[in-house]
Amino acid sequence: MGINPVKLLFRIAIAGGLFLINENNLIAQDSTLTADDSALNAQVATLSDQVSALQKGDSHFLVAGLTTFGFVANRTVTSFAGGRQETKTNSMGDADHYELSPMFLWRHTDKLLVEFEPSFNGYTLGVNWADVSYFAAPGVILRAGYFVLPFGIYNKRLAAGWIDKLASDPQGIDLPGSDFGVEICGGLPLGNMKWSYDLSLTNGLQLLPDGEIQDVGIADNNNNKTITGRLALLPLSNSSLEIGISGLQGNVADAGSGYSHANVSMYALDLDYVKNINPLLINIKGQSNLIRVTPQRYLNPQDSAQTYTFDNTSSSTFLQLSVRPVMSGNAILKNLEFAFRFVNYITPANSLWGQRYTEEDLGLDYWLSWRSVLKFSYELSHSVSTSDLSIGGTGGTTDSANMYLQFSTEF
Amino acid sequence: MTWVIIGMFGILAAILINGCAESQQVAAKSGAQLWAENCQRCHNTPSPSDFSSSQWKTIGMHMQTRALLTNEERDKIIGFLQQK
Repeated sequence: MGINPVKLLFRIAIAGGLFLINENNLIAQDSTLTADDSALNAQVATLSDQVSALQKGDSHFLVAGLTTFGFVANRTVTSFAGGRQETKTNSMGDADHYELSPMFLWRHTDKLLVEFEPSFNGYTLGVNWADVSYFAAPGVILRAGYFVLPFGIYNKRLAAGWIDKLASDPQGIDLPGSDFGVEICGGLPLGNMKWSYDLSLTNGLQLLPDGEIQDVGIADNNNNKTITGRLALLPLSNSSLEIGISGLQGNVADAGSGYSHANVSMYALDLDYVKNINPLLINIKGQSNLIRVTPQRYLNPQDSAQTYTFDNTSSSTFLQLSVRPVMSGNAILKNLEFAFRFVNYITPANSLWGQRYTEEDLGLDYWLSWRSVLKFSYELSHSVSTSDLSIGGTGGTTDSANMYLQFSTEF
Repeated sequence: MTWVIIGMFGILAAILINGCAESQQVAAKSGAQLWAENCQRCHNTPSPSDFSSSQWKTIGMHMQTRALLTNEERDKIIGFLQQK
């Protein structure tokens, strides 16, 4: 029996037709996937563009800062030979206790940081710092511009209103302040301890006609530069204790003046201890400054034909203790902080500005958040004049009481 | 001044004796632990949710210049604060 050729051809035709139908079907399906792919690809491209626009680059700009304002009431009694004077004032803000300081930070990668903090204190618009820092290597930060000098701990870290537990700054701690220059600093590990160094070279301070020292300002007053440095050790592995030693040395006389060899030497010892002793957070801060200016002869303001001299040595010490029951179960109590500070400030006897000054401050703070605080501070001070009456100094004693209600926040 | 000089030499002696390496105990510290220990040296510990990741990086560099943190401390603290 043989194969019917017609039937064979018919079967081949049917098979071929079926094959072609399937091929066409597959081609049709391929076309459908491509169209879907195109839409999907378009969506992915759009999303990719959106993500790229949101991705952060190497630069970042941030505005932070602080503001402090409130109310201060003062009663001052001045006693002098043959008399007594009492004054009472109150104010919603003054140069010492009002501040609005926005801080501008610009970062480029993790190597460069620009910091600029202008400050309005109720009277003038000034600048707290304006500098650029280069993070050169682990433990090495290079800084240039206008910055707070590395002297002590208070001015660089504790002076901000939302950090200071009390409403006012301790007397005599303001120098040396900020200056123009260059700085190198860093923190490094030391086994279970840490240490830090901070060294600057700046324009320097200025000697005034009555022997006081002040910031030189924008115009340098001589060709000498001032060196300032701080060395600190954190001997405990939990960083709860820091001990720092600072020094400053420089010429303070205006070029061409009669004080051409006037040099200032400053020294400071600072202490910072923060410890959780359940349920309390104990905070101890202190700093002691010593300022010495080489002996000079100053013009007698009462008689310009005469000069006078004195041992131009000043000292200022503050010690502050604050306690906060952070682990208390009471929602109000845990946000209360009790603070006490003692200040001792001695300026040169027989100068125009000689005094022995002591101050005690009591404070009660309520923390609205980690960076916003309501402060009530009561400050008592007693000052005995040691100025030379023959050159126009005023004698007597001054007793002053200040009550502050203050709000401060970091933003 | 004598006490200042003695104190400076004391610190320098500690540095020379110990070198500049950190102990294993310190190296093992987490960002959270370093955040709790170092931030409260000056102020209250900040809330991580108050700033964005990029902001924390910038703030961290600013804080390093103030508190003179080591690089490792800064990076670990920033890493902790960037977690939400």
